[in-house]
Amino acid sequence: MKKGFGNRIIVGLVIALTAVTHWLLFYIIIINSFKTKAEASKLSLSLPAEWVAWDNYKYVLTYKDFIFLRSMLNSLIITAVTMAVLVLVASMTAFVLVRRKNRFTGFIDKLILAGLIAPLSIIPTYWMLSKLGLANTMPGLILVEIALMFSYATMLYKGYIATVPREIDEAAILDGCGWRELFFGIHFRLMKPITATVIILRAFVVYNDFSNPMYFLSGSKSSTVQLCVYTFQTTYGTDWGHLFAAIVLVSLPPAVLFLIMHKRIMDGMVMGAVKG
Amino acid sequence: MKNRLMQKTYSYWLLVPGVLIYCVIFIIPTISSFYFAMTRWNLRTAEWIGFDNYITFFSQPSTKNSIGNTFLYAGVTTVIKGVLGLVIAVWLCRKSTKAHGYIKTVFYFPAMLSTVVVGIIFSAILHPSNGIVNQVIMGLGGPKIQWLNDSGLAIWVVMFADIWKTIGINVLIYMSGIAAIPKDYYESSALDGANGWQQFKNITLPLLVPSINSAITLSLIGGMKNYELIWTMTEGGPGYASEVLGTVTYKLFARGNYGLATAGQVIIFLIVCAIVFPVNSWLSKKVVEM
Repeated sequence: MKKGFGNRIIVGLVIALTAVTHWLLFYIIIINSFKTKAEASKLSLSLPAEWVAWDNYKYVLTYKDFIFLRSMLNSLIITAVTMAVLVLVASMTAFVLVRRKNRFTGFIDKLILAGLIAPLSIIPTYWMLSKLGLANTMPGLILVEIALMFSYATMLYKGYIATVPREIDEAAILDGCGWRELFFGIHFRLMKPITATVIILRAFVVYNDFSNPMYFLSGSKSSTVQLCVYTFQTTYGTDWGHLFAAIVLVSLPPAVLFLIMHKRIMDGMVMGAVKG
Repeated sequence: MKNRLMQKTYSYWLLVPGVLIYCVIFIIPTISSFYFAMTRWNLRTAEWIGFDNYITFFSQPSTKNSIGNTFLYAGVTTVIKGVLGLVIAVWLCRKSTKAHGYIKTVFYFPAMLSTVVVGIIFSAILHPSNGIVNQVIMGLGGPKIQWLNDSGLAIWVVMFADIWKTIGINVLIYMSGIAAIPKDYYESSALDGANGWQQFKNITLPLLVPSINSAITLSLIGGMKNYELIWTMTEGGPGYASEVLGTVTYKLFARGNYGLATAGQVIIFLIVCAIVFPVNSWLSKKVVEM
């Protein structure tokens, strides 16, 4: 009886704590994104004396010939293409690695596992991309993102394929299925849950990525939205009203997705991390 | 016959696209980095200079700080996220009310935000004169603290922001590990008169080793090679105070010292491998079957 009461007090205290450690921070950002430059520079908690929310957000969206919107579009394209290619190539690789075990696939498997730990050698990669004519281009960055996530995605798929009974393959082959039908018609469909996990987890990472675009799109005309916000920060460091509007906008896609499917995202996160 | 069927069904062709991208973009550059690190290199021509890059790299004033800082950053964030994350997870697992679910979600949410965004949020609340933190401290009669401009404090502030952003990941990993432990272990030990601490020490902790392993490995790798938050909050400053290997290497790259920057990356590569593999295998030996 007494224990339950004490526990309830702790729960209350922790909830109060999150109000300070989390909600207060989000509140400061959002409320100041509605203020004029002079007022926002005080970074205070008060409501805006003059509401200029629309002006601030419009400024960010239209500044420098819509560069923010264009970067946002670039980021979404990079994320979507990376995910589409990644799930395809990783699931195909995992399929063969699990089903056809021999010394060659064992070697490939070890090679892929190394990518889970080893960090990317950025400058030789940059050199490789420039040899391919892809340095400072979006396709180049997409290839880098795929290569970086390939090990992790392949490992997730491997775990899943190992649970699919081999009898399915044998029955399909007896029915005259070729490998294309077997993989695309049967296995790739069965892998839907793990494909969803990979996309849910990794799409955020690609969208939020900062260091790889910084290296691999450095001299490029196209930029990602995170780079754009960073440039905005270094150029307009103390213009908090506009800067906060920019970070609210850039956080909208992940925040909205998280609101809608936070349970799924958190479950997927755990599944991915524990296998790793 | 069976073998031929195997070859047809699980054709190596399925490996080609993924392994090709992985090898061309990841493996070949990784291997060639050991060569390029020993050259004076402008991306077109590479002139062999032996270990000169490593000597130059270690004699740079910024490097001295950066090596210590890299270990400090990875070590401190890993330990705090490991311990605090475990405490929160054990506490959250005792009950599953709506309030507990809410707390878990709120702690996890910052992991969805980008480093740039988190960097800006913390720069704002830690602003020397107008930031909320200093407002409160000065309101209570305290001094004006230069959080990110103080060479002793800067890296600790970034570590704090890092922990704030990523601790929820550890909490989730531990929670799922605890949920997988059979309940009757606790029930029968309670019948034998074990208290909460004994249960934690003798049941939860040993059975949680796989989760602890992944949480620690993830935090260590992240702490060693991620420098994004440092870059967006301090760019390695003030002076070289919060420099880590990642920021030093980026600066060398931006200046066009490609061979030298590659040497820096080889060092990061070797450090990550030298730390993560032993830690991982040590923890793997501690795994107990349920």
